[in-house]
Amino acid sequence: MSLKQILIRGPLLILLATQIYPLFWLLLYSLKTTDEIMKGSFIALPDSFRWGNYAKAFTEGHYLKYLWNSIIVTCITVAVTILLSTMVSYALARFKSRMSQPVLLLFMIGIMIPIQSTLLPLMIIFRKIGILDTHLSLILPYVAFSIPIAVMIMSGFMRDIPYELEESAFIDGASILRMFFSIVLPISMPPVMTVCILTFISNWNEYIMAATFLSSVDLRTLPFGTNSFMSQNTTDYGALGAYLVMSVLPVILIYFFLSEKITSGMMAGAVKG
Amino acid sequence: MNGGLRVSRRIYAVFVLPSLLVYLLLVFFPILTSVYFSMLNWSGIGKAKYIGIENFVNLFTKDKVFWTSLKNTFLIVGYSLIELPITLLVAILVNRHVRRSNFLISVYFIPIIMSSVVVGQLWKAIYNPVSQGGMLNKILISTGLESWTKAWIADPSTAIYALIIVGMWQVFGYYVLLYFTAIRGIPDELFEAARIDGAEGLKADLHITLPLVGYVIKISTILMVVGALKAFDIVLVMTGGGPAHRTEVISSYMYNMSFISLKYGYGSALSTVLVLLCLIATVIMNRAFKRFD
Repeated sequence: MSLKQILIRGPLLILLATQIYPLFWLLLYSLKTTDEIMKGSFIALPDSFRWGNYAKAFTEGHYLKYLWNSIIVTCITVAVTILLSTMVSYALARFKSRMSQPVLLLFMIGIMIPIQSTLLPLMIIFRKIGILDTHLSLILPYVAFSIPIAVMIMSGFMRDIPYELEESAFIDGASILRMFFSIVLPISMPPVMTVCILTFISNWNEYIMAATFLSSVDLRTLPFGTNSFMSQNTTDYGALGAYLVMSVLPVILIYFFLSEKITSGMMAGAVKG
Repeated sequence: MNGGLRVSRRIYAVFVLPSLLVYLLLVFFPILTSVYFSMLNWSGIGKAKYIGIENFVNLFTKDKVFWTSLKNTFLIVGYSLIELPITLLVAILVNRHVRRSNFLISVYFIPIIMSSVVVGQLWKAIYNPVSQGGMLNKILISTGLESWTKAWIADPSTAIYALIIVGMWQVFGYYVLLYFTAIRGIPDELFEAARIDGAEGLKADLHITLPLVGYVIKISTILMVVGALKAFDIVLVMTGGGPAHRTEVISSYMYNMSFISLKYGYGSALSTVLVLLCLIATVIMNRAFKRFD
């Protein structure tokens, strides 16, 4: 290897280490005793792997309940977002109407609006209509904030579908709804997958709304649950580490199997913007 | 487009109205409500009093914490803008000099898929004082820099920078990926032709790569700046704006005012400022980039 290559690859490897080492360190941390964490070196292995930290975090932290809540909320959000945004994207991309341009613009503004600015008004509205502290109070805003980017990605794709497909279906006398579900939706699978991934990741990780709108322990999603576990158990470092590892495990696993799809999906999400 | 499909108004409504209503009711309406709240003196309980623009006047003329939060927000924007060219350079180098580039890129990317709660809590543990096993301080000790050790996020002089680094760490891989994918899309023949003309390496990048990834530079700058203006989760998870408001950003200050101090009107004024900042920044950047095109 030439000197030049070392000079180039060296910093790239250091960056690799800074991106990945904290996670590795967390894994070690989660397997140590509090004593080892405080006194030992940052790179030392634990004397023996303390799986007890995981047992403690698992039983005391309502892990499965929070995980289940996250799965429910995120999956419903993704499903509703896909249904609503494919329909509106199709209309905006294909139907003849003077409304389409302004409606599209309205959605585009939504991409720039900070989600946290709706926290207080939404809390007051949800309290008034009696859905504060329910999963619905998360799903509704999650869907609403996922629609703009979904519309942008999908209307771009649908504009390029050849008209012949729909025309032949029209001749067959298919109703427009049936045509949408049996022809348009199936060939739009690539952008639908992209939207699925984007919507899943951003809402799976959402913390602020969950922490503001939910008060019942039973309803908490994983990020909110994780943060409450952290603030309640401030002394047992090993168990805290174990909980963080368990909290990040689901997305890491999904990423391990779908990394190509996820990276290309998030790329599409940005570039279509 | 050849004019589009002709459909009845009813069909159009069936396709458009559900999303539009959800979006208007849950995004647009709350934002407008919050503009209205910003003109009230209201604690959430009891009667609200209309006070016009008094909240905004107080914000800009009397509130030191507001200026701190504004300064911190722009500090984050500034550092984000420094990070962008670095990610472009890394993408160029990875593409040219690393054989298993896809692997490297997907590892760089991992932090972005993690929730800010995990990222924030992980870095809190990294920044902890030695007595609590903080990684950074332990590294300093083992490299003989014991005098540099600090409680990084409890110390007012370092706290905001400690948070900025976490934010930069989290989004780094995302922007590298954006540039990397764009560079991948440049046809090899262009670089071949440049080589024949005697342009190689960074010189070729200046004349080929930069112009051809121009659209990604535009997108990433807008995403980065708006993202930095919105920065919130990491602050809330790691410091909540402390110590003594030193890490307060507009969003965290808005949150603390609304939900901790229960000053609904004042918090809404902050939230209005935030929305305006994001929209103005987007418009300005779009204008600026149009000139480049």
